[in-house]
Amino acid sequence: MDSLYKMIEYGIYSAAILLILVGLYGALTKKSLIKIVIGLSIVDAGIHLLLVSIGYLKGGTAPIFSPGYEDKADIMVDPIPQALVLTAIVIGFAVTAVALSLVIRLYRHHDTLQIDDIKNLKW
Amino acid sequence: MKNTIVILLLATIGYYLGTIFFGIGFGDAHFANGVKDTYLALTTSELKVANTVTSIVVNFRGFDTLGEVTVLFLAATALGGILYKKRHAVGERTVLFPASSIVKSGAKLIFPAIVLLGAYVFIHGHLSPGGGFQGGTIIATGFLLMLLAYDNFSVNHNVLSFIESFAGIFFVAFGLAGLLISGTFLENFMPVGTMNDLFSGGVIPIIYILVGFKVAAELTGVIYTVLHEKD
Amino acid sequence: MVGTPVLFIAIPLLAAFLIPLLGMIWKELVRIIPGLVLAYMLVLSVSLLSYVLENGPIVEVLSGWAPPIGINLVFSAFSGFLVTLMSFLGLIIWIYSYRFKRNVDFEPSKKYFILLLMMITGSIGIVLTGDIFNLFVFIEIVGISGYALAAFYMGRNSAEASFKYLFMGSLASAFLLLAIMIIYSQLGTLNMADIASKVHLMDPTYKVVAIIFFMAAIGIEAEIFPLNGWAPDVYTEAPGPVGAAFSGIVVKAAVYAAVRMVYTLFDVSGTYDFLLIMGLITLIVAETTALRQDKLKRMLAFSSIGQMGLVLIAFGIGTLEGVFAALFLMLNHAITKSLLFLSGSYLVFNSKDKYIKEVNGLGKFMPITSFLFALGAFAIVGLPPFAGFWSKLSVLTAAADSNLILIIALILIVSVIEIVYYFRVVNRIYFFKKGESVIPQRPTAHALLAMITLGAIILIIGFYPDSITGILHKASADLMDKTKYINDVLSAK
Repeated sequence: MDSLYKMIEYGIYSAAILLILVGLYGALTKKSLIKIVIGLSIVDAGIHLLLVSIGYLKGGTAPIFSPGYEDKADIMVDPIPQALVLTAIVIGFAVTAVALSLVIRLYRHHDTLQIDDIKNLKW
Repeated sequence: MKNTIVILLLATIGYYLGTIFFGIGFGDAHFANGVKDTYLALTTSELKVANTVTSIVVNFRGFDTLGEVTVLFLAATALGGILYKKRHAVGERTVLFPASSIVKSGAKLIFPAIVLLGAYVFIHGHLSPGGGFQGGTIIATGFLLMLLAYDNFSVNHNVLSFIESFAGIFFVAFGLAGLLISGTFLENFMPVGTMNDLFSGGVIPIIYILVGFKVAAELTGVIYTVLHEKD
Repeated sequence: MVGTPVLFIAIPLLAAFLIPLLGMIWKELVRIIPGLVLAYMLVLSVSLLSYVLENGPIVEVLSGWAPPIGINLVFSAFSGFLVTLMSFLGLIIWIYSYRFKRNVDFEPSKKYFILLLMMITGSIGIVLTGDIFNLFVFIEIVGISGYALAAFYMGRNSAEASFKYLFMGSLASAFLLLAIMIIYSQLGTLNMADIASKVHLMDPTYKVVAIIFFMAAIGIEAEIFPLNGWAPDVYTEAPGPVGAAFSGIVVKAAVYAAVRMVYTLFDVSGTYDFLLIMGLITLIVAETTALRQDKLKRMLAFSSIGQMGLVLIAFGIGTLEGVFAALFLMLNHAITKSLLFLSGSYLVFNSKDKYIKEVNGLGKFMPITSFLFALGAFAIVGLPPFAGFWSKLSVLTAAADSNLILIIALILIVSVIEIVYYFRVVNRIYFFKKGESVIPQRPTAHALLAMITLGAIILIIGFYPDSITGILHKASADLMDKTKYINDVLSAK
């Protein structure tokens, strides 16, 4: 059982960290605005996964006191990361929406999505 | 050159994140002195809310949620501001492939069910998994489905902004009512009832229903604004 | 007492939700309501500040749960001082932008006022909150309104500048979330005072990684080199008042967050030196870059970044005098740089590319605006008897007390650079011949009122620095006293 947990631990944490790194790589190296936005969203997804998984408890159950679970508080997983992730997801959505609308504006203005063709301002 | 720098940077970040998070341990009870146990105890004894996540989102950390709905409201406002065009009433959408009649009637059939499910999810947010954000998102997917199936489906923007504003105003008003009646902002000033009743938890379900309306209206508004964008 | 600190957040939010509805009734309300709200916030902050200076900090508990369970707001001498400054500047910027551009349609101007109000509210929230996740939420509120305001003008390259800001801002929020996560996974709490009292339990590696992520995130918002690539573009492309709001309000809030982390939250040795070195690099790089700029707002932006570097140096000294000097600098910079942005955007009002050479000879045609710009320029480089002189002097004395001779020398050299590029502009305004194509723009009465108020304050602080130093001394003592902060918050009911 313990080795199973070890495997899940490495699996989940590496998956989440890999997502963060893949997203960062995409956001930093890609030339298309849409791909940059996608990269930023992937970073967000990885972070949310990481945040939820640190609240997990071995053999835990959802932190909901449904009938029959009123006295099971000691085996409930941590509810705080879940609440934080809820907030973070909504904020991530808002940022992505604004980013996409900016992409639309840039496309309207320049007729292209390649950042090499858009650079009017110096970095 | 640039790629090498990026990969080195990512390797460093990955290495440190790896050391940090593999050290935390998955599924261990690693914070004995944290606030988690207090939350789990208080939600049953004081708030009578079965879903601890809801009691955290709406009550213990309700101020965050107020900020969160503000972020959504700002995103909707920002979208309207960024995509604003002079002298343009909302334009016709460009539709490449009109949806087939199967999609159309299927969407019509399933749309009320989606809205009903969303309403169920946010009304029962304090009892079962879900809540205002989840329910609101479900309702917005219903509208998205209709917008995809029918190219002339339209949502009244004024109604959306009415819902948005009223839900936000009532959220803040409930907070201020808590300040006036019980002494602190967003405090639960109504009787909490018994656990696992639909009418329990004081203001928590009411606020979550308001959040549900607000999220549904804002998400629909965002989708609608972007869909009606013509180049 | 006229209210509690939470009203700083609740009332503007209420107003922001109400504005779209009221705008349907009478369009002028969209412009008036934010002003009323900001005026109320100023009154509230002044009265709370005078109460706090006498009776010690107010810790407001939210949702009825004492810290560390619930979220709390801390209105102490330090945060109260910053809140007062921000509400005041917010009101000034509102007065200025009341009729800034007449040809802007109703819809965008409604959005402009909502977003500006929320940006100011978010900054105040950053300063007031006592919870790190709440801090993250407020940073996002500031961020999203900032992205939208930066992209306000359709014709310019504003979307590009805004996208850059958004890119950096998303990375900042990702890093911030990672830092919060690491702290939470180790201590199980999100309350700042609770973290500060428990932080010695944290493994040093975790602590260092958390503070690096945190500083990377805050560094992006506070324009610390090398994370400030977005700032000059945003300042150039955004409307003038928004530039003033960025440099006067948003950056101050971000610096507050960084300082709160270093002074209260973490006890890692070397973070003070880190602030000092980053501040020094920021100062030198930004000021030398400002020297090479040919666009007015870009020059002001780099100067603003440089001044924030100076503030970080003063905070990095780590003594009571250093903190005092830093607060004094923040006050002067907020007021002076706002004046420079506000008057500067009238100097280049009708020009498309905002080049410095287009201000040539405007001294005769726009006498009041030019005079105020010159006043701001003299104050910011630290000429006596203007306000900037006293703050720069206090930085130098604080550095001298700590025997940081190299720092003093570098600050003086950089000041010379500053003098060169500001005087170059002032020289062009008064002693050059006006270009043929340049059309002078008469400022509106509101804008004049706003700019003259700022100019008067610069003169008042310049001639009577004692009028403000009492508050600053109390505020800096408040920041230094970490144990008192922890006790105040954790004993709040």
